Amino acid sequence: MVRLITHNLLACHVGGCNSNNFPLEFKDVQIELREAEFNADFVRAFLPKIAWKALVDTARQLGDTSLPDEQPTMIDDEFLKNLHHVLLEIHVEEGVMICPNCKHNFPISNGIPNMLLAEHEIG
Amino acid sequence: MAPKEVTPAVIDEEPEVYENRNVHMIYDDIASHFSSTRYKPWPIIANFISSIPVGWIGLDSGTGNGKYLPLPLDRPGELWTIGLDRSINLLKIARTAGSSGMVREVVWGNVLDNAWRPDAFDYAISIATIHHLATHDRRRKAIERLIQAVATNHGRVLIYVWAIEQDELSKRKIPTVEDGHDGHGKDVVVPWVFSTQLRKTSQSAPEKPQTFNRYYHMFAKGELSGLVAEAARELGLKLGPKPESSKESVEGLEIIQNGWERSNYYVELKRWTI
Repeated sequence: MVRLITHNLLACHVGGCNSNNFPLEFKDVQIELREAEFNADFVRAFLPKIAWKALVDTARQLGDTSLPDEQPTMIDDEFLKNLHHVLLEIHVEEGVMICPNCKHNFPISNGIPNMLLAEHEIG
Repeated sequence: MAPKEVTPAVIDEEPEVYENRNVHMIYDDIASHFSSTRYKPWPIIANFISSIPVGWIGLDSGTGNGKYLPLPLDRPGELWTIGLDRSINLLKIARTAGSSGMVREVVWGNVLDNAWRPDAFDYAISIATIHHLATHDRRRKAIERLIQAVATNHGRVLIYVWAIEQDELSKRKIPTVEDGHDGHGKDVVVPWVFSTQLRKTSQSAPEKPQTFNRYYHMFAKGELSGLVAEAARELGLKLGPKPESSKESVEGLEIIQNGWERSNYYVELKRWTI
């Protein structure tokens, strides 16, 4: 991992960086696609919590165009499966997440994002 | 097995530096041995996670080897718990926690940071983590972060910390000194004996077992609830159950349950708005 379900929650927390600090932008990524068991109930119930534009934009950044700009009014199985794939099957193994505001780099290594800040960045 | 001798700790440097030496570096050194001794979920924690509805997403703040990430075992995939920890070596184990081979979501970070967008999580658990923080303020701040991480109108939090009062099943023997019952808790170091035979080295000469001394703040009765009250005050939340009605909009925090179980103090919280 890290997958988009997590990325949709992460924000920049450098001291003083309080606006336009979400979502973080991926750069130089190495992706692996791995199947995950599809649980329609989870995806349907989780849907309202998603920061939708951030998810769609990020998925497109990573080459997946299966999601619509807006959440559909009629939720069908195909939509849920596409959403499941975007949230849980795209693993960013290596790369960097960059804050659009302050440009801080959060590296990803072996699928684990590093959100630690240096002493002076905590603010 | 004879109880381990626990000795008083003296925090003689900046808390971050002290924690780094007496908590973080040690966990990275003992990660795999530590992980093999931490596998049994405790009942109140297992029940809390079992009560989480489908579609909820949660934070395990101080996930260690990730033993809570696969729960609940009878409904895998119905909720997602993301593990946060300071030890990269423990996270590498947490990444595939559980016997199903499922990959978990883990993040390398500090429980004192707020690296999440607002209202990110539905629930948060902090099990045996904040007792590794070296000052009262840092322990309170960690609780603030848990409350901040969860949804303002329904977020649930469960916190577990080591208690001064240990039961007879405990492997730790806390020296009885007159203080510590004034609500302030006790700073101690607890030895961890790491047998290097576990590393399966090919050296023929027997290695002397290494001892690591981990820092803990053992909580006194009422101390955890006290920290929760302070955290609520810092965040401007009204402490208490949600009222029937209100003239103005209020954000609050209710203590659902609190108590002592198996040498730990615990508290369960719920956020509300009106």
